[in-house]
Amino acid sequence: MSLLKIENLHAEVGGKEILKGIDLEMGAGEVHAIMGPNGSGKSTLSYVLAGRDGYDVTEGSVTFQGKNLLELEADERANEGLFLAFQYPVEIPGVAGMTFLRESYNAKLRYRGEPEADAMQFLKMVRAKAKTLNMNDDMLKRPVNVGFSGGEKKRNEILQMAVLEPSLAILDETDSGLDIDALKLVSDGVNALRSEGRSMLIITHYQRLLNHIQPDYVHVLAHGRIQRSGGKELALELEANGYADFAEEAA
Amino acid sequence: MAITNNAQQADTGTKMIHLGKNTRSTIISKGISAGRADNTYRGLVKVMPKAEGARNFTQCDSLLIGDKCGAHTVPYIESRNPSARVEHEATTSKISDDQLFYCMQRGLSAEDAVGVIVNGFCKEVMKNLPMEFAVEAQKLIGISLEGSVG
Repeated sequence: MSLLKIENLHAEVGGKEILKGIDLEMGAGEVHAIMGPNGSGKSTLSYVLAGRDGYDVTEGSVTFQGKNLLELEADERANEGLFLAFQYPVEIPGVAGMTFLRESYNAKLRYRGEPEADAMQFLKMVRAKAKTLNMNDDMLKRPVNVGFSGGEKKRNEILQMAVLEPSLAILDETDSGLDIDALKLVSDGVNALRSEGRSMLIITHYQRLLNHIQPDYVHVLAHGRIQRSGGKELALELEANGYADFAEEAA
Repeated sequence: MAITNNAQQADTGTKMIHLGKNTRSTIISKGISAGRADNTYRGLVKVMPKAEGARNFTQCDSLLIGDKCGAHTVPYIESRNPSARVEHEATTSKISDDQLFYCMQRGLSAEDAVGVIVNGFCKEVMKNLPMEFAVEAQKLIGISLEGSVG
């Protein structure tokens, strides 16, 4: 059974149709990459899947782990195991990173009807995971994303993903704003999280990220539709030829 | 800290009177408005003639939840001693849709998300409260804001 199945998905933002019939199927443990030019609907797709207000689905269906995803609220989708690593992580002043992690982790446990985590054990678990991402205790004490550099914000997203252990992680341009070292660190973090039970949808402009995180499938999104799908060699082809081909195909 | 929700109108404030030499004071006020409520803070800082070198710092932050509420800050400063230094800073911020969505994407319900954000906003005050009281205050914030979103 597929983990995520998107069929003929149409969605609009502020009355303007952005997604015009997306079909995509992901199996458990698979890594898919979505590439496409600016304004092709990549971020819209990630927001629609995560359930953001103002992104209205007009047609089509999305099935996630056998459930109708579109019927669920954003927090229910998260607790079902869908995680979105934000392109622009949001600042939450005054809320320590650790507190935020604990709140989200416990929300997930409550959703499953399990007792909340023991504070000390949780602290240990988070510290161990933070260490692999080269994040120290100081970063966990600072308010969420406030005054973080671009690289720190993205690392923080990956840490949240490591702690929440989603079954589907959508990484929305996780490579944007990262220097070469930070890109490697973040990619290593993501690679460490690859497993049979975890699928990933990687949204990016550049092939660069896919050198570090090797996808099983690559899709090209342009003009609100998936124009082509293929293996990872498709990404290389795009790098050489650009997106120009697809602009013509659609026109 | 003052919280107003629904159709509440709060008009609260503080008085700080400096009598002695070199006296110092700090006032931190955190006002939260939700629903259609209005929250007004009035802060009187009075420096008497004998309070040579008195200093006051007032920080007044307001947080708005939704777009139908308001926050008002009215500082009253009466200084009768020319050596006094009195400062007043005010900020107004709003819980953004981005913040709410971010928290909900991590699994928090809309109400819990507001609770977490509001507690962060009040942190400077909360951290000075005794442990037991802070826990109560945190819960109280949650209860006071029930029904403010969604």
